[in-house]
Amino acid sequence: MALSLGYIFRETRGNLRWNVTLFAATIVAVWVSLTLFGSSLLIREGVEQATGRWRGGIEFIVFMNADATESQHAAIRGALDENPEIGGYDFVDQQGAYNEFITEFSDRPELIENVTPEILPPSYRVKPTVDDADVIEALAAQFDARPGVRQVTLPVEVIRTLQQNSQKVSVFVLIIAIVVLLAALMLIANTIRTAIFARRQDIEVMKLVGASNWYVRLPFMMEGTIQGVIGGALAIPMLFLMNNLMAGFVQDDYLELLRSLVVDSAVVWNTSLLVTGIGAAVGVVGSLVAVGRFLDV
Amino acid sequence: MIELDQVTKIYKGEVLALYSISCKITKGEFVFLVGPSGSGKSTFLKLLNRQETADQGAVWIAGKEVGALPRSSVPKLRRLVGCIFQDFKLLPNRTVYENVAFALEVTGRSRQQVRTQVPSLLELVGLSKKTHSYPHELSGGEQQRVSIARAFVNRPPILLADEPTGNLDGDTSNGIMRLLAEINKRGTTVVMATHDQNIVNTARRRVLRLDRGRLTADEAQGRYA
Repeated sequence: MALSLGYIFRETRGNLRWNVTLFAATIVAVWVSLTLFGSSLLIREGVEQATGRWRGGIEFIVFMNADATESQHAAIRGALDENPEIGGYDFVDQQGAYNEFITEFSDRPELIENVTPEILPPSYRVKPTVDDADVIEALAAQFDARPGVRQVTLPVEVIRTLQQNSQKVSVFVLIIAIVVLLAALMLIANTIRTAIFARRQDIEVMKLVGASNWYVRLPFMMEGTIQGVIGGALAIPMLFLMNNLMAGFVQDDYLELLRSLVVDSAVVWNTSLLVTGIGAAVGVVGSLVAVGRFLDV
Repeated sequence: MIELDQVTKIYKGEVLALYSISCKITKGEFVFLVGPSGSGKSTFLKLLNRQETADQGAVWIAGKEVGALPRSSVPKLRRLVGCIFQDFKLLPNRTVYENVAFALEVTGRSRQQVRTQVPSLLELVGLSKKTHSYPHELSGGEQQRVSIARAFVNRPPILLADEPTGNLDGDTSNGIMRLLAEINKRGTTVVMATHDQNIVNTARRRVLRLDRGRLTADEAQGRYA
């Protein structure tokens, strides 16, 4: 038996009209929960992106004393060459350091005036082969105490703080999102339940004249799915808005690090599609729950 | 066409509705089901379209055991078995036409079929002029005619009638009976539960008498009592 699309469409429209306010309330709940859900996905994506940037090129810098002897340099180079956890290193001599200094402080000539290449420390920019923050920290510590070494600096702390805090936020938002998503699912199920109750006479007659089970169920399932999809679609502009707000917020220079939390609009699109899909899924599952429990066909 | 084989139905494990009922109804018969309230008439009918299932014994319709049908096959059974009720069960927010068309639509008929079949059925039941009325604008007899049109629109080989004249006065009841007789004449098997002595005594059809769930009489050209 063919299912008539016209019939399903008419019945669904009838169901929707029957209780506009409840329908709207359900959509708002789905909308808010999916916006939260999508945001948490974007935050995760941003954290991944931010830490990934460091992970690829993570390096620590061994600054030597300006007056370190050639044998001290040789010892360091030897240690760097031997260590299997070190992939390579660049040596920046005093002239190189001076050039970098000039570039970095080009807007502050009074600083440059007072600096000569001789007082700047030469350094080794070391690239480890591993990306585990703990291992790199231990590695860097091996060089700290060597003769001729002035200081070892490494960005591990920064990465770790960023990673931990962002992950905390992301998990927190995700938990809230899942809870709200469940609430939305139950709300959809309840909306469908009231629709089933309102149409119990029609349903009784449909069953008596031999309407197939799917004919009875489909208009209700359509209603739930529409609520989920609309809620999901409404979340899309919210996700773009949040990403753009974030982009505006981190425009300030000192928030350089946060900038990588802003994701590409392609990523927002993908997340949006996923969120709309999840909205549809929530709608289908919610109405299935209601139809299964309250529609005895 | 219809066969009950030692059918027992007990509600909630304690209320005995039918006890060991066996009978056969052949194609094209018109059968009255009589007995006082609570004697099991409605349960008898509900077993035939699988609104209820027997606790013991078997119900056969057109060669199929009704109780053994999978859920997905129940709609098919119900298209073989039309139903009318004492309270008509019309949808109040739909017109006469829409009430009848509804039965065709939800069983997946094309718009073309709906457009041709509904008017011809409304003509059969004598309601061509009330096509666009709502149920509350009709008399009881007219409402029952709509419900008969709806039950018959799928041309079921069996029609079940549960006290169809219970809410109607004598003349109106006779009109409904003439309509059911007409439908029966066209080959549809009719099983009708009733309290109405006049109708049973006038029609002189087969009578199955139930008393407290037991089949106490089965007479070919029976009377009510």
